[in-house]
Amino acid sequence: MTVKTLLLAGGALLVSASAASASGFQVNLGGQKNIGMGGVGVGLSLDQAAMFYNPGALAMVRENGVQVGVNAAIARVSYSSQYGGDQTGIDHKVVTPFNFYAGFGPKEGKFKAGIAVYTPYGSTLKYNDNWDGRYALTEITLQSIYVQPTASFAITPTLSVGAGLTILAYGNVNLQKDLPLPTGNGHITLDGKAKTQFGYNVGIFFKPTDKLSAGVSYRSRINAEVESGDVTYSGLPTGASAATVNRGFTANKFSATLPLPAVASVGVGITPTDKLTIGLDASLTFWSAYRSLDFAFSGNNGNGTTDGLVGGNTTSSSKRYYQDALAFRVGGQYKVSDKLAVRAGASYDFTAVKDGYVGPETPDADRVILTAGLSYQVTEHLGVDASFLFEDFLKRTQTQAQLLDNGTTDRVAGTYKTQVYVPGIGLHYKF
Amino acid sequence: MNLLINRTTPALALLGLGLAGCQPDIDAPTASTGSANFSSYVAVGNSLTSGYSDGGLYNEAQSASYPALLAQQFAKTGKGPANFVQPSFSAAKKDGSGYIKLLLVNGALTPVQPTPPPSTTNPNGNSYLGEAVAFTGNKLAGSGQDELEAYSGNQPDNLGVPGISVLSADKTASSTGVAAIDAATRGAAAAYGIINPFYQRLLPAADRGTKDYVTYIGQKSATFFTCWMGNNDVLTYATNGAVVDAANPFSGLTDTTSFGKGYRNIVATISKNGTVGGVCANIPNVTGIPYFNTVTVAAVAAAFKAQNAASPGVFISVAGTTPVRLATSADLLTLTAQAYIAATGAGSTPTNPLPSKYVLDAAEVTTVINRTNQLNAIIAKTARQNKVALADMNTFFNTISQSGFVTSTVNNSATFASGNLFSLDGVHPTPRGYAVVANEFIRVINDFYRASVPTVNPNNYRGAVFPQ
Repeated sequence: MTVKTLLLAGGALLVSASAASASGFQVNLGGQKNIGMGGVGVGLSLDQAAMFYNPGALAMVRENGVQVGVNAAIARVSYSSQYGGDQTGIDHKVVTPFNFYAGFGPKEGKFKAGIAVYTPYGSTLKYNDNWDGRYALTEITLQSIYVQPTASFAITPTLSVGAGLTILAYGNVNLQKDLPLPTGNGHITLDGKAKTQFGYNVGIFFKPTDKLSAGVSYRSRINAEVESGDVTYSGLPTGASAATVNRGFTANKFSATLPLPAVASVGVGITPTDKLTIGLDASLTFWSAYRSLDFAFSGNNGNGTTDGLVGGNTTSSSKRYYQDALAFRVGGQYKVSDKLAVRAGASYDFTAVKDGYVGPETPDADRVILTAGLSYQVTEHLGVDASFLFEDFLKRTQTQAQLLDNGTTDRVAGTYKTQVYVPGIGLHYKF
Repeated sequence: MNLLINRTTPALALLGLGLAGCQPDIDAPTASTGSANFSSYVAVGNSLTSGYSDGGLYNEAQSASYPALLAQQFAKTGKGPANFVQPSFSAAKKDGSGYIKLLLVNGALTPVQPTPPPSTTNPNGNSYLGEAVAFTGNKLAGSGQDELEAYSGNQPDNLGVPGISVLSADKTASSTGVAAIDAATRGAAAAYGIINPFYQRLLPAADRGTKDYVTYIGQKSATFFTCWMGNNDVLTYATNGAVVDAANPFSGLTDTTSFGKGYRNIVATISKNGTVGGVCANIPNVTGIPYFNTVTVAAVAAAFKAQNAASPGVFISVAGTTPVRLATSADLLTLTAQAYIAATGAGSTPTNPLPSKYVLDAAEVTTVINRTNQLNAIIAKTARQNKVALADMNTFFNTISQSGFVTSTVNNSATFASGNLFSLDGVHPTPRGYAVVANEFIRVINDFYRASVPTVNPNNYRGAVFPQ
């Protein structure tokens, strides 16, 4: 299967997750089996999804196979403003992060090669109309698809290495917010596609005994660069105030860069019996690369305040100053029979966003994640994998005083509370 | 692969939605009154308290007066006033004294003052811009000002009277030591009900011309009050370029002795000698308002230079030994100077200087600021003596004029019209500005009375109205 046909397949989907399953807007939904086990996988060689979690483990995956998984992420964000009153939420958009893997190699050989397609970063949120933060954000769609040709080599029977070329094959950003015009509310939409960019995903896998395995992996940062994205407006005045107000909104193109940060992970796998597999992972996402979100416009835009009017500036810069975020994961798989395996797991993800920097596009917070899953082998070759993930963000409050202290008053004070539900299902075919 | 996705996605989504049926709940913080008693709230003050905006008192802006907003927020504790009455105009005359609008004049957005219909003496009248004004056609006996439709209800809870000063509120206040001045000023304060149309309309006919404001507010029995008085004891003088109107005894800078006497009297009256809780607000530095910072010397000088390259600057007429001099950036021009300069070309030559009433020169600025500070010291001490909170609006407004004020990501500033906070008269807040003021009051009240009254969302209130 070529990259092009893979992309066509992916293009049929709404690809992204509602800030699902890892810090910031990272999405840690690499494979259905792994999702059921709390997202572990760096120290395991379960299936072809090793290409995502640890390319080094691919050579240790016994069978060749093709597998696909799809998830339906449903986020529930509640927001309560600093002024009290009714809490607002978001419209319930279902987004479908997916993963696809095909891995091949000679039987009993030392090599294995494959291709992976997955969605490592994304966010889709649409806030209720007239919510307090409407002038910061009303709607965001951030999508990315990585395509990753991968090769893995077993140097010794206990040690293997692997590397993949990560290609940001598809990236899209759509940001919308209301404009507080003196004539009433307007609306602005920024929409752009990211240029194709390249990175890498490498890993080492070590399996000294049948009972123990370990791995490290590193996926590099890719900058999603949008050039010549479209800027569109609605609600600008057309009559008496048009000349005064609209000169602030002459831009029709924008460019911006969003880092999709690097991730370093270590993991351990323990197999005390033939039936039981336990995985432990720790990963660090280098979110500190995300320092500010800067836009350059082809004309006037941004929050120029020199004459007190909105607009009227060709650039805008919004502080992020994210911090590197750790995550700890644990999960297990128990083979009930030759056909049935059940899984459970949990993880704790630390937030990438510091106090006073929480913005509506990623209402991030420390998260507790609980997962469950099962696989059923229908035939010798074909199996079904199901997973369910529940994610509970700790309640997070920031005050206007914190925003003022940090110079981050381009977002709102208030309290966010988010829960995410991600059922998923996959098929695997091994031979 | 597509097949799998197409078949399973709806089922997955359905499963997820079923499981995700409930929105996570955030418990709202509980509102409480602390040691304050909001069951009967009364607001004492001037135009700022009345909800005056855009150069007039009219129902729409009045509905967003800070006392109305405070009463609304007090009610959220469950122990607020049962109702809070504002002296509105009747629906047919909802635009009260009329208000300035931003209109397109010669291709530029310009604030336009409502004026009577065209007549032989006033050929350019604009028929009050079509507003439903409440003028009766009569003139007040004490001042010749236009009479407004009388307020017919019982004594309201918002007792704000546009134009009133401490000196004009208390018929015993004036204590300059000059008997003739004191007699005249005290007499005018007693007769204030036939001088000021906004006060006259509140008073029953029998009280007009005899009952001073202190006596009037003493009729209320509040359990909580706000008092924001004293602004006009410096503002009237300042906005007229520090030129005293000989016919108006309240047009000067009020001296500290008279102010102290009147202010103590007002607070003692409304607080029942310190037994009723409340807040006293002090006087913001009037030189920070758009009225003095919109028409700048630099901008006028640049306009003159564009017409005549040899123009040396802006000539102003000032008090002192050199009656005409070139203005510097330390001299403040009034908002009203713009139209006057445009009509007369004043200021372009030494023989046609900008009259003093359009200029608050550097020396006058110092005088006004010093007096403001003196009066604020009296306000702070009086609040302390009556055991009530002090809202330091001077510091608050200084912060706004220097750094602006962000409300839920919206940048507001002291910029004229487009800054959202100040209305088209350049002096009084917009509804957004009043919401911000109400929140500052609430912050002070919560702090002093250990209460937790929720604040209002200022973005729900408009700034200056721009035509579409």
